[in-house]
Amino acid sequence: MKENIFTKKNLRILKEIAVSDFKVRYQNSLLGYVWTLIKPLLLFAVLYVVFSVFMRFPVENYQLYLLLGVIIWNFFSEATVVALRAFETKQSLITKIYFPRIIVVIASTLTSFMTFLLNMLVFFVFLTLSNIGFHFSFLFFLIYIVELYFIILALSLILSVLYVKFRDLSHIWEVLLQVGFWLTPIIYPVSLIPDTYHRFIYLNPLARVIEYSRVVFIDGYIPAFHLNISLALMTILIFVFGLFVFRKFELQIAENI
Amino acid sequence: MSNLVELNNVCKIFRIPHERRNTLKENFLNFHRKVKIEDFHALKNINLTINQGDFIGIIGRNGSGKSTLLKIIANIYPPTSGKVIVNGSISPFLELGVGFNGDLTARENVYLNGVILGLSRREIDKKFKEIVNYAELSDFMDMKLKNFSSGMQVRLAFSVAIQADADVYLCDEVLAVGDISFQKKCFNTFHDFKKAGKTIIYVTHDLSSVKLFCNKTALLDHGEMLNFGETEEVVRKYLEVVNG
Repeated sequence: MKENIFTKKNLRILKEIAVSDFKVRYQNSLLGYVWTLIKPLLLFAVLYVVFSVFMRFPVENYQLYLLLGVIIWNFFSEATVVALRAFETKQSLITKIYFPRIIVVIASTLTSFMTFLLNMLVFFVFLTLSNIGFHFSFLFFLIYIVELYFIILALSLILSVLYVKFRDLSHIWEVLLQVGFWLTPIIYPVSLIPDTYHRFIYLNPLARVIEYSRVVFIDGYIPAFHLNISLALMTILIFVFGLFVFRKFELQIAENI
Repeated sequence: MSNLVELNNVCKIFRIPHERRNTLKENFLNFHRKVKIEDFHALKNINLTINQGDFIGIIGRNGSGKSTLLKIIANIYPPTSGKVIVNGSISPFLELGVGFNGDLTARENVYLNGVILGLSRREIDKKFKEIVNYAELSDFMDMKLKNFSSGMQVRLAFSVAIQADADVYLCDEVLAVGDISFQKKCFNTFHDFKKAGKTIIYVTHDLSSVKLFCNKTALLDHGEMLNFGETEEVVRKYLEVVNG
């Protein structure tokens, strides 16, 4: 069954769901949108105190280095945790009307993406306040954002559709995220890890996104060509796999949720 | 294209595990025991052809497969076997208020609901007054939907749903809520629909409205289509079935 997902009508539905979810997510709280900024900043503050006052990493501009890592990780973990339950939260919708199911997952990740963009604004404020001038390498970050988004979307597709059949997944994923936080170079630089382990670290596409983004912003140059190519290939591979898994289970979502 | 909807030998089987194992622990502890799965035949070999302009009633006892049939036509459930062909767009009001979100205001929900039913924001802008007046809720549009009574919610939802421009409308017991005056209004709208040559598939237990509107009626019983044809005759058959 081939159908065009990106018709005008479907894009309208996508936009409407994503925007209204974003509104609802922060509407009932006193500080509203501010929470989207406070959460990662608080994590950043704690980590910063621990790892620059109590223990020291030999990294220049450590605060920017850490903040960027925390914001990217926060986007990844929040987006996947919310998307995992996307069909459960949208149950009343998908059992009553047909539209391509993938829209539910895309809308959910887009809602998190909006939060991420707000967080990046904070990063830019810090960046401007620091002594790092503007580099054209900054523009390369746009590519990393796209890659990051598609990695997140791919995982969200897999998680959301498997969760319908297998409710333990929410707990398993939370545990994996905690492990992932420490296995990904967020608070520590990769250079602290013995060279022999580097290949394993870089099997994690998120580690690449975070490291390359730092190079682009803080070091002010663009990572080597082959590194960018391998990240792009990884992204495509993960995305195709995510789509494949989703297609396999998508028809059964409505009757199993 | 006079054949708007065509169902060929459609079957739907739900697999019902008698002991549902959703978690890892349950799977580990019971891996040696096989789960007993029973097949529930919700629909058996349904053949149905609906032409443009038909007003089809679907009647039958509880659990006879009426709603499942609508969901299959609406493409929400895939059929287990058989073929469903739909030549045109469908607007399901399977339950009113698809996509309604209690934390948003009524106004925001009109837009959300309308877009999901296939309208654009601009079209809704144009029809907004009409929707609100029809629902008789103009004083409440900035109230959060969760503070609406269920009757008010249905009124709002119905008003939005009838604005959606589709070839086939699927209605599942949509008029059960709402007070008498609003029901009357809905019936008038159905009359207009009928005159405009729209195609409606209408599931209900209210036989008098079936007799009033439907030119053809289908009778379902335990997933089988017992009868499909002239409404008077099918309704009589249904009463026979029910009364033993």
